[in-house]
Amino acid sequence: MVAAGSRSTSEHSLGRRVRAVAHSMWRMRWMYLLMTPTLIYLLVFKYIPLWNAQIAFKDFKPLLGVTGSPWVGFEHFQTFVNSFYFSQLLTNTIFFSLAKLLLGLPVAIICALALHETVLRRYRTFVQTVIYLPHFLSWVIMFGVLLSILSPGDGLLNQIIERLGGQPIAFMTSPKYFRWVVVFSDIWKETGWSTILYLAALLAINPELYEAAAVDGANAIQRIWHISLPGIVPVIVLVTLLRMGHILEAGFNQIFVLYSVPVYSVGDILDTWVYRQGLLQFKFSLATAVGFFKGVIGLILILVANRVAKRVAQQGLF
Amino acid sequence: MLQSKTRDGRWFQIGVGIFLTTVLLIILIPFWRVIVTAFVPLDTYITEGVPFFLPLKKWTAEAFTQLMGHTQFTIALRNSVIITVLGVAISMTLTIPLAYGLSARNLPGRKLIVAIVLFTYLFNPGLIPVYLLVTSLKLQNNFLAVILPPALSVFNTLVMMGFFEGLPDDFKEAARLDGANELQVLWHVILPLSKPILLTIGLFYAVFFWNEFFTPILYLNDGNLIPLPVLLRNILISSSLNEFVEYNAFSTTSVESLKAAGVLITMLPMLLLYPWIQRYFTKGSLVGGVKE
Amino acid sequence: MKKWTTLLLVLLIALTSILSACGTSNEPADTTAAEPTAMTEPTAAPEAAAAPEATEVPEPAAAAEPVDISMWALASVTEAGPPADDWIAYDRIRDELGINLHYTIIPPQGDGETKLNAAAAANDLPDLFMIVSTTNDRDNLRTYHDLGLIAPVDDMFAMMPERTKTHYNNPVLIDLDSFDGQAYGLPNPPGITNREGLVIRQDWLDNLGLEAPTTPAELLEVAKAFTFNDPDGNGQDDTYGIGAFIEGSGVGRRFNPIFGAYGVVDLWNFVDAADGNFGLNVRDPQYYEAMKTMIEFTDAGVIDPDWPTLTKDEFRARWKQGRTGIMWEDFAALTNKSNYTPFDDNFPDASWTPLPALTGPGGEHVYGLNEANFSTYAVSQKAADEGKKEAIARLLEWMATDGYYLIGFGEEGVNFNLDEDGYITLDGIDPDLAFNSPAMQPPTQLRGTAFYNTLAEISARYPNYETNNGREMTPIKTYLEFFQSQQWIEGFAKKLIPPPENAADFYRYYDEGILQFALGQKELTPESWAEYLAGLDSLGAVQFEEGARQTLTDAGLLP
Repeated sequence: MVAAGSRSTSEHSLGRRVRAVAHSMWRMRWMYLLMTPTLIYLLVFKYIPLWNAQIAFKDFKPLLGVTGSPWVGFEHFQTFVNSFYFSQLLTNTIFFSLAKLLLGLPVAIICALALHETVLRRYRTFVQTVIYLPHFLSWVIMFGVLLSILSPGDGLLNQIIERLGGQPIAFMTSPKYFRWVVVFSDIWKETGWSTILYLAALLAINPELYEAAAVDGANAIQRIWHISLPGIVPVIVLVTLLRMGHILEAGFNQIFVLYSVPVYSVGDILDTWVYRQGLLQFKFSLATAVGFFKGVIGLILILVANRVAKRVAQQGLF
Repeated sequence: MLQSKTRDGRWFQIGVGIFLTTVLLIILIPFWRVIVTAFVPLDTYITEGVPFFLPLKKWTAEAFTQLMGHTQFTIALRNSVIITVLGVAISMTLTIPLAYGLSARNLPGRKLIVAIVLFTYLFNPGLIPVYLLVTSLKLQNNFLAVILPPALSVFNTLVMMGFFEGLPDDFKEAARLDGANELQVLWHVILPLSKPILLTIGLFYAVFFWNEFFTPILYLNDGNLIPLPVLLRNILISSSLNEFVEYNAFSTTSVESLKAAGVLITMLPMLLLYPWIQRYFTKGSLVGGVKE
Repeated sequence: MKKWTTLLLVLLIALTSILSACGTSNEPADTTAAEPTAMTEPTAAPEAAAAPEATEVPEPAAAAEPVDISMWALASVTEAGPPADDWIAYDRIRDELGINLHYTIIPPQGDGETKLNAAAAANDLPDLFMIVSTTNDRDNLRTYHDLGLIAPVDDMFAMMPERTKTHYNNPVLIDLDSFDGQAYGLPNPPGITNREGLVIRQDWLDNLGLEAPTTPAELLEVAKAFTFNDPDGNGQDDTYGIGAFIEGSGVGRRFNPIFGAYGVVDLWNFVDAADGNFGLNVRDPQYYEAMKTMIEFTDAGVIDPDWPTLTKDEFRARWKQGRTGIMWEDFAALTNKSNYTPFDDNFPDASWTPLPALTGPGGEHVYGLNEANFSTYAVSQKAADEGKKEAIARLLEWMATDGYYLIGFGEEGVNFNLDEDGYITLDGIDPDLAFNSPAMQPPTQLRGTAFYNTLAEISARYPNYETNNGREMTPIKTYLEFFQSQQWIEGFAKKLIPPPENAADFYRYYDEGILQFALGQKELTPESWAEYLAGLDSLGAVQFEEGARQTLTDAGLLP
């Protein structure tokens, strides 16, 4: 009797919940309709390729097609994980990824804050435009620029070192320095570009908050600390989370151009390996398998980071 | 800008000024070299390489003349413009509705859709799976092959979503109470309030499509369809490759100058675009929206 | 309300463009409403019915419908762009051969290789295409062959008798394009071989009163003087003895003069192949000695310190800037007029003297490895299935016969003239229209497919000229012929050798180790060398060598 009653109430509440969801779905029907074209797009242009990506588990033969090629299970993954340089590649990749994030992010935020704070409007526009320029330099050009600064023969920096009585340093070919050349050249090139995003976020902060702070007699530092920074925390969290999802992407184009044989041990990353090993030698299945591997690691990290972000900053993606 | 002039205001401003100037110099000095490289005359380049200071009367636009005088330059420029404009239009059309939909935290099934979207961000199927799709759609030799596969950036979508979320709910609710549907709310309330982020994301897309060179190489076989970055890449790679150099197409300038000039040429439109966008980057755009 | 409809419209356009994209027809060059001007086809309708102009027509022109042939090939001068849609050769090929040729320039190096491989993966290879490989053409050809994507071409030789006589007359090259005794590629005649060599700044030698070096030890002394004794007399410490960059495995070919003196150039020990000692050069004790010498050069600081990271351009810019005095360089890159002029303008009194091979302590004096560098055309299986082989053969035969001059040099009387001996001349030709003018580069992009290294071609390509101070520059006679007279090791068999298991890791380990020793990052001792070799073994060096010996023995190249 009691049991039956409780069951009927739970059924009742379930039905009510379904109805409530259905009701709110109906209320939001325009929302779904709006999103439908994009979702169809995702299905065609993102999910069909993901379906094709089953070649990661197959011995892909063009004549047999994606579905017709024979399954090989995790063979390509094993090839990759057991490869001679696997741990070195992984270390290098994660190092570059993290170093660029951890050093690059604060620099970009500080630049954005400084640009936001300055009262010199025209100067701000000028600086903003200039620091965004290097983003457009391809790495091929950057290589020339770096060489002119870092070359042990006649590089600017080495001339200074020699003037100060030091020995010229082969930054580009020395395993000791190469990593930092990669990290700092990336920061140099991309800081201005990432600043745009934080600046847009700063501009979206309600100006009334600043006015209120001014009335309360807050100084600049307090203003930044209590209004500006909290205002852009959501963007910072979002960017960081998404970067964690791509932790195994360390900047193929950059490293492919900058590295050379003497610095392979500190410069070779997953993507350069895949390029040498995979694409050029028709090992497409292997390349796709590495893509999956990167995705799985990214998924794990983004889930962990999301949880941390929710706990620490009360912010998250989902 | 900020009306508050507190005691430490002046020293703080000086500090900020010094900081910005330092950043400016760090950016400008290497960049200066790229500029000089583009304008250095061949004889100077041959004798001393690229000097830091080039006497004013020695500057030459020879590399630019060479590149812009290339028979394919106009056509490549036109192709780039088409790809960029069409690409941004399609990308924004796909991104805005999705970002807006996802910004409604109470949307039933939102988590599922976020998962669907994020999954495509994390798992990059790679070159061949996309290539197989594009060829099965018979999109070779069609700009859509270059535009559609990367048209939706998850990063851009989520950033835009974040901004939509940050907008005060009052406006939306007010509009909804007036009987507006979501499309109207988006069009009349949200978008006018979001100019900075729309322009930012639009710029991100524009720059992406403008610089794209790899997919055009893969999908566009017709020499009349190549965009500017591919033309420049062809010029640079092959002029440095000419092993059997019986002929040198650019004998009046150096490969280094061509590279630098090519970069400056591709940079120029984006350089003009940015200050224009910055005009909308003024504070109070949000407030302006509220008061209307 | 108006904005409303605009938005809907935009959405609609986006959706329809996606849908229309899905539903377009099979035409190779479809155009959508979004790109109205993008046309591939020449606008003129093919006049199939009109009789071809009555000259020698090699084959009876096909009847009503011309065959479509898609052809992907590297261009001679990629930066000059493709031939225009109204290229006269397109018309003649259609009228005389009944072929609609669709020529796509593939980008060089990795870009081109990726493009071809992607097309292969989608079974979408063009009818006729050039193999592009950053490693070894044969490896890529093997891949396509194993995947069943390319057709055997043995039967095509009979379809193009003239071209076979002039272009496909070298059985060794055909073997390099064959698998299981069947040819799968059409090898173009190789370019000029053994074209690189050691050269030294004669004026620097004279300024310092030095003799040309004949041994590695003497080379080191000269290089030291070039580095530290201000050879150009400008009072500045701005020169290095040796200029180089990495090209090839290990330290690369640019150090052939040092390694050749020990008989250990390149990867394989072809020098001792006849004695049954074939294997990797690093196993040869002489290689260890050569490396010791190499390290002496590094320690002395006489090599441009940027060399491990330089590109070919920068390397060349540096010798043109007078910063290096000794190098291993391609004869044309050094002496052809367009390359030499900047250097000549800079240093009119300077000259480069070609040097013979240095002789090592053991009396070895190898100059370099002769690798047959030739390009290969393959025919896709799809094209063969569609019965296009015959048309392709017709096209290639034409390029070697009736179309030879048109493809190679343009129109006689307009772009070039022939003298009574059959040599190309520019007498009476408008310089702006000359075959070697910028304007004529696009229409001669396929000249590599026509050429087969006749004396007329070579003299047209590398003419003699006068330098600024009136010296006669003779690229062929002074440089090329001198280089070719040196001791070159026959190394074309290298291409036959199948790549090692895990090629990328193997080659990385191989190159990295050698460079670490050569740059002094790792100390060279018998122990560290043995350790390096052991690491190579753990990456499958032994199997690689066994496979190589097996392949070469099967090909009858090893006893």
